[in-house]
Amino acid sequence: MVENRNVGFTNMTNVQFENILINFGFGTKEEKKQILIDNSHKDVFMDLTCFDPQEFYSTFPQLKGSFAALFCDHDKRIEVHMKDKNEAFISKLQELGFKTFETSILSCGFVFPRTIVQIINEAHFALEENVASKKDIDRAMKFGVNYPKGPFEWSQGRERYVLVLLNELFEKTNDKRYVASKLI
Amino acid sequence: MNLKKIVVIGAGTMGSGIAQWFAQQMCFVELVDNSEDQLKKALAEIHKSWDKLVEKEKLTNSQVSQMKKLLEIKSLNLVSKDTDLVVEAIIENLEIKKTLFQDLDHYFAPHTIISSNTSSFPITLMSEAVSAERKKRFVGLHFFNPATIMKLVEVIKGEKTDAKLCEDLYDWFDSKDKKPALSKDSPGFIVNRVARNFYGEPLRIVDVEDEAKMREVDQILKDVGGFKMGPFELMDLIGIDVNYSVTCSVWEAYNRESRFAPHELQKKMVEENRFGRKSKRGFYKYD
Repeated sequence: MVENRNVGFTNMTNVQFENILINFGFGTKEEKKQILIDNSHKDVFMDLTCFDPQEFYSTFPQLKGSFAALFCDHDKRIEVHMKDKNEAFISKLQELGFKTFETSILSCGFVFPRTIVQIINEAHFALEENVASKKDIDRAMKFGVNYPKGPFEWSQGRERYVLVLLNELFEKTNDKRYVASKLI
Repeated sequence: MNLKKIVVIGAGTMGSGIAQWFAQQMCFVELVDNSEDQLKKALAEIHKSWDKLVEKEKLTNSQVSQMKKLLEIKSLNLVSKDTDLVVEAIIENLEIKKTLFQDLDHYFAPHTIISSNTSSFPITLMSEAVSAERKKRFVGLHFFNPATIMKLVEVIKGEKTDAKLCEDLYDWFDSKDKKPALSKDSPGFIVNRVARNFYGEPLRIVDVEDEAKMREVDQILKDVGGFKMGPFELMDLIGIDVNYSVTCSVWEAYNRESRFAPHELQKKMVEENRFGRKSKRGFYKYD
């Protein structure tokens, strides 16, 4: 069963099977928590790209695993963290076309999203200071250091996720390195 | 713009790569270095590289024979004074560079463009060594290693550099086998600034020395992110000392803004002479 919820800038989709619920897409922290409250008798797996999975695990025992799919590309490779190993969940993700990388690292924003939003943020600061054009910044990173995509190509259509994750990292660490460029 | 005659100063890895690339564009190239031995070594390496490209059928015998004729090694006082472009690729020392630029300004014809391949120093600051007229024809041309393979050239406009000159250089490189990017003269230019977080953020994710975690981060950024190398293996390849030095230089240039700050682990590794692959110990061991 698939249920779509499109409220404001959220784009969440719930996939349910057996006693498992997989929550895909972006939602606010409150919306994500509400999904967990509404499904307290199920095993829930949730996209927490923009948040700290540890914060959710400690409050919601029904959350059995989390993943970061908001920055994934056409090849649908995603980081997955499992609190409790669940083969049915992994099989379902693979059935949906995802290629999963199971990680043991529990980090706010996982590994790839957290790294890429910082690269995207710096590219926006450079643009803000007129260091170069978007096109030239993308070109420089692709042809100078072999990045698969330029920072602006990566962030296109995902600015909201970039901003929410940077804000979340700032809130967690109080480190100014996570203050977002005003262009995001 | 049509660049036909090039002088490259400095026959180290970058200088010889830049000289080779220009010769491959069928420019007449004079490669200069203080050390005659270094010049001979660089020329032999370039010839060897071209011969290999013939073996791999990437170049023909006739092309390579022409390129070999186009590339000469010389001492600075014997190079053509009417060259179109000079590319400086010597040691990253501001005072040495400024002294050199002062000499180059007097030596070369007024139309000669003087450029620097620096990755550390502001172009405007280096251009203080040349005359007001030459400042208009003084520019940064930052190539990436290996210069014959990496497509990017950052074209850096100093405060007094003629904007049209930068556009013409951009178009000239674009018409050849390069992907130019026009950058303002700001610390780290584009790449050395934006790329800092590819190292800094994974260091903060791992935070302490934990080889298993570093391997996992490397793998995630390759498998999920599509990067060719992970940050820890790349820092080991570049050299922990080199990467730390670039990080510190950008951090200082931005008044120690926290988002450019080096990680404690980088400093510790440099102090322990753990420079990466070249010292057989970095984030990983290479015994």
